[in-house]
Amino acid sequence: MARIRFENVEKKYANGFHAVKDLNLDIRDKEFLVLLGPSGCGKSTTLNMIAGLEEVSDGNLLFDDELVNYTPPHKRDVAMVFQSYALYPHKTVFDNIAFGLQMRKAPRAEIETRVRDAARKLEIEHLLDRRPSQLSGGQRQRVALGRAMVRDPAVFLMDEPLSNLDAALRISMRAEIKELHQQMQTTFVYVTHDQAEALTLADRIVVMRDGVVQQIGSPDDIYERPKNTFVASFLGSPPINYIDGVIEDRNGDGVKFVRGDLMLTLPEEIAAKLRHSDRREVRLGIRAEDVDEAAQGGEGTIIRGKVNSVLPVGSDQFLGFDFYGEELFFRVSKDLSHKVGEDVALSVDLNRLHLFDKDSGQSLLW
Amino acid sequence: MAEVVHQQAGRGRLRAMFGYEERSAIVFLAPVMAVLMGVAVFPILYSFYLSFFRMKLTRPNRTPFVWFDNYTDLFTNELFWVSVTRTVVFAVTSVTSIAVVALLVALLLNQNFRGRRILSTIILIPWAIPYVANALMWKWIYDSGYGALNGVLYQLDFIDKYMVWLGDQDKTIFLIANAFVWKEVPLAAILLLVSLKSIPSDLYQAARVDGATVWQRFFHVTLPAMKPGFMLVMIYETMMAIRHFDLFFILTEGGPGDASHVLSWHIYVETFRNLSFGSGAAMSYVLALVTFALSYTFIRTLGRKV
Repeated sequence: MARIRFENVEKKYANGFHAVKDLNLDIRDKEFLVLLGPSGCGKSTTLNMIAGLEEVSDGNLLFDDELVNYTPPHKRDVAMVFQSYALYPHKTVFDNIAFGLQMRKAPRAEIETRVRDAARKLEIEHLLDRRPSQLSGGQRQRVALGRAMVRDPAVFLMDEPLSNLDAALRISMRAEIKELHQQMQTTFVYVTHDQAEALTLADRIVVMRDGVVQQIGSPDDIYERPKNTFVASFLGSPPINYIDGVIEDRNGDGVKFVRGDLMLTLPEEIAAKLRHSDRREVRLGIRAEDVDEAAQGGEGTIIRGKVNSVLPVGSDQFLGFDFYGEELFFRVSKDLSHKVGEDVALSVDLNRLHLFDKDSGQSLLW
Repeated sequence: MAEVVHQQAGRGRLRAMFGYEERSAIVFLAPVMAVLMGVAVFPILYSFYLSFFRMKLTRPNRTPFVWFDNYTDLFTNELFWVSVTRTVVFAVTSVTSIAVVALLVALLLNQNFRGRRILSTIILIPWAIPYVANALMWKWIYDSGYGALNGVLYQLDFIDKYMVWLGDQDKTIFLIANAFVWKEVPLAAILLLVSLKSIPSDLYQAARVDGATVWQRFFHVTLPAMKPGFMLVMIYETMMAIRHFDLFFILTEGGPGDASHVLSWHIYVETFRNLSFGSGAAMSYVLALVTFALSYTFIRTLGRKV
């Protein structure tokens, strides 16, 4: 049982760097929480504060309602997997996994069974006598997982554990980590800058930027209803397209987004939200996949432009699209054949549009 | 005509053996090779040759070839064995002290504190002092009439009269070792500091999460990671210690009695005072072999698990 709560937590370094600003976060028991953001956003610092490796400068950090601001790491019942794996280079795999138990003076027989148990689960039993330098990246990763698992901790912390692996291995390890979470039934806090990892693994995602939480929510929430342009751009591949334009509500035939010849009729649901604000200059966000062949849509849904580039990606293709001097990227079916230089019309899925305040970048749909 | 053809064939063979880069390298390296041949390779080989002769400059015209006599005689030479014992005592004492003190200095310099950079510079000073200057400095410090050691200890009431430090047979070798350690610690500390700095901080964090105390982190993370550094320090300092000469020459000349009569001093006396070049050369070769054997052993034992 482990619930972790941050109350107005601040982290400032001696050199004046303000790494985490007024963090309020409630991590539920047995939850898989992913801290997502670009490097330097404070996600690793947050993780290290949970681990006890970094001190909390201000505010409260609670484990199950107990204040742990000053509790040293080994008394917090946490285990951690590091990006570099941090395996002890001179110890065998067995001793690497056993070290935490040895330090806690567990009986030898128990250490033996628990280490072998963990090794079996991770399929590294045959490697127990080797040293880290004799292992491949994937095997080292498993040893690092084993070292954390074997102690049966209340909280499992992972700091970009997959970023040193090659692409194929990363995807299979992702599945294994998810399975591990289900098996272990403990709280997982996972740091990554990889949106795909976050979307596949998380129960909830916390998006951070410059030490400030941008949005907390389920992967669907974060992807479908981003609170601001930062969150919207951080998730999605290729990234979301932005078009600056104005909102018009002329002669009663519906609220429209207008930019040059582009005129999109906004659905009632979105229009209703806009009525509350008097903002007229907005930034429209269209995710790459939210378009279709023009024939599918009616009037007020069509966007026109000139094809700049065609990038097939196997399952479908990316279309680079020149629109008033800006390059937009759309993901279209590969059945459509487009040539560079040709004019193209696509219909936009109006229900999936995102609208942001042009200056602040805040969503107008929240 | 035939000669020209022959020459061309010869040049062709050379070209086939070495590419353009190799050939220009040979040209550039030739001068320094020639110098090294003259000042290093030749003396080494010549002294090996000399070690098979009974060669005493007091009898320059009678230098019989004596096979291995110069070597076998050593084993019955009592003073030679005394010098071996002294050398071992000196080397073990100094190398152990250097390793321990250098480790402490390295650990200190690895911490972040104000004035760390200036302190690391100051600590390097002994390293920059020439051996002879260092020896003269310690001769003053140990001086029985106006030495700093006497002065300090007397004023602090540790001694009630000035002592003839280097005249004490039981202390001499350790006092010389002390001067040697003072000179050698900086380099050793820097070598150890390098291996300390190469330990990723992740390892310490992992050990903290694993519940290791400060001491456990030191024994399980720091020390094993410093093994290569220690190996280097042990090999280098052992080699320096068993061959060291300057301090013995300037401070004690092997005395009092034979209290600091180490191997290098013994070789010096045999060669340049007794003018017995044959046996001096033989002993030099023994010393070189021992140095080599020791280094090899260190590398095998310490290097195995690095």
